[in-house]
Amino acid sequence: MDQFIASLADGLLLGFVYGLAAMGLTLIFGVMDVINLAHGPIIALGMFAVFFLGPPGLGLHPYVALLVVAVLGLIFGAIIYFISVHRILDGPHLSSLLSTFSVNMMIIGVGTAIFTTTPKNMDFSIGGLAFWALNIPFTRLVGAFIAVLVAAALYVFLYRTQQGKAIRAVANNRAASELMGIPSTMTLALSFGIGTMLAAVSGAIIATFFSFSILSGGVYELKSFVIVVLGGLGNPTGALLGGLILGALEGIVPVFLPVSWVPVIEFVLFVLILMYRPNGLFGGGRS
Amino acid sequence: MTTVLEVNNVSSGYGEVQILWDTSVKLEKGKLTSLVGANGVGKTTLMRTIMGLLKPTKGTVSFHGQDVTRMSAHAKAAHGLILVPEGRQLFTEMTVYENLEMGAFTKRAKENFAANLDRVYEMFPRLKERLDQKSGTMSGGEQQMLAVARGLMAQPDILMIDELSLGLAPFLVLDLFEILKRLKDDGLTMLLVEQNVQMALAVSDYAYVLADGKVELEGPSRELAQNEHVRAAYLGI
Ligand SMILES: Nc1ncnc2c1ncn2[C@@H]1O[C@H](COP(=O)(O)OP(=O)(O)OP(=O)(O)O)[C@@H](O)[C@H]1O
Ligand SMILES: [Mg+2]
Repeated sequence: MDQFIASLADGLLLGFVYGLAAMGLTLIFGVMDVINLAHGPIIALGMFAVFFLGPPGLGLHPYVALLVVAVLGLIFGAIIYFISVHRILDGPHLSSLLSTFSVNMMIIGVGTAIFTTTPKNMDFSIGGLAFWALNIPFTRLVGAFIAVLVAAALYVFLYRTQQGKAIRAVANNRAASELMGIPSTMTLALSFGIGTMLAAVSGAIIATFFSFSILSGGVYELKSFVIVVLGGLGNPTGALLGGLILGALEGIVPVFLPVSWVPVIEFVLFVLILMYRPNGLFGGGRS
Repeated sequence: MTTVLEVNNVSSGYGEVQILWDTSVKLEKGKLTSLVGANGVGKTTLMRTIMGLLKPTKGTVSFHGQDVTRMSAHAKAAHGLILVPEGRQLFTEMTVYENLEMGAFTKRAKENFAANLDRVYEMFPRLKERLDQKSGTMSGGEQQMLAVARGLMAQPDILMIDELSLGLAPFLVLDLFEILKRLKDDGLTMLLVEQNVQMALAVSDYAYVLADGKVELEGPSRELAQNEHVRAAYLGI
């Protein structure tokens, strides 16, 4: 029982961070109907960015480095948008899949050449919280806290600011938003930038817990897909909740079954949701 | 009289399909101009071309004497050229209030937000009661009011309305025409496309009749309303 609770807490805390990554994926899909297959490598780049900005590299404190990663992610996302997404936005879905998949291959290719695939480790520890059955590293707590903070900030941005509302307007009706004076192309680039930023920041947070390589993004990309489907495609709030569910599963399943069952169960869930709740567990998504 | 918008020999269409052939239209300051023509003749296409949602293959559009043919739609809106599009095109997932806010996205509109909001509430009290409702869940008539209201929030210098009264109950049509008259009295320059040609000619100062992708006839609305051909073809008299 104690172990169960400890694993559950562990999983839930990770779940917030997974949810944050998934919010990036689902935001981009919700705004421009593009499934960003470069999502995983961007998560991995976030890991490398915090590594090289942080103690092993420039020596910034990892949580300060996180801010820099956010800014870099935003800029990098906008660049990806203009290079590989803008031109195929009105094309069939296959075009954007192929195009973002190319970005995925390029990042992995260049990343492998430069960083190799040998795992890297931040070796970052700030102690832990031990009480009752729990022994939680502070990095996990802070990571989850940052994820919630960023998610809340995104929500406030999208629903309380003019610029955020403009993103929703463009997502809803691009031509009409142009007619109202909203520069839709810049707004789309900003949205892609924010989606990329969320992925990169979550990668950077994950790098404060686990070792990683340029290939690590793939695992988290798959998790993001499961979460996005759980939460409803295009629904950022749903993504955070979906992240918690997935995190909880990851925590609990290994208590009863070998760890290798985790992805099996995740994908069975994925398929079941697609079959029976295509709008996500909480509705509000788009099938 | 000052010409505020001038469409010069514009040709435009969709890909290979050319719809407009050498069309020329002028809007005079403070006047209400009507655009009349059969279904599918290219009225909407002309408005989309003026806004820059469609790029003309030939000809120019100038606004206050400045060539804006290649200017993007959002930049034109920022200068006060506003289109209330056919089929409303509301932000259906957003609330009524948010739609009004998005109408006032540009700098010139933000500066007049409070005054425009008051005016819109006064013209459309129904909207004021439904500010928090998702606009896509409103009735057709309410949505049309919101489309016009959103356009007015944009602080237009020129307001173009495509299909003002399509699908609305007669009393609502009358209401909307009253509002048009008021806007005209306030000195707003307007271009109107309206299925009810009789009412359109009655309320407007000047009118263009489009046929075969060209301007077939133009003149003061009062005169066109007496024209034999117009009466036979568009007024059913
Ligand atoms: N996106 C498009 N692609 C191809 N053809 C189009 C497109 N939109 C409109 N058309 C065609 O262009 C022609 C003119 O259409 P337009 O919408 O401008 O007509 P309209 O005068 O506004 O008609 P209505 O009174 O029915 O609104 C029509 O033949 C229409 O089928
Ligand atoms: Mg039309």
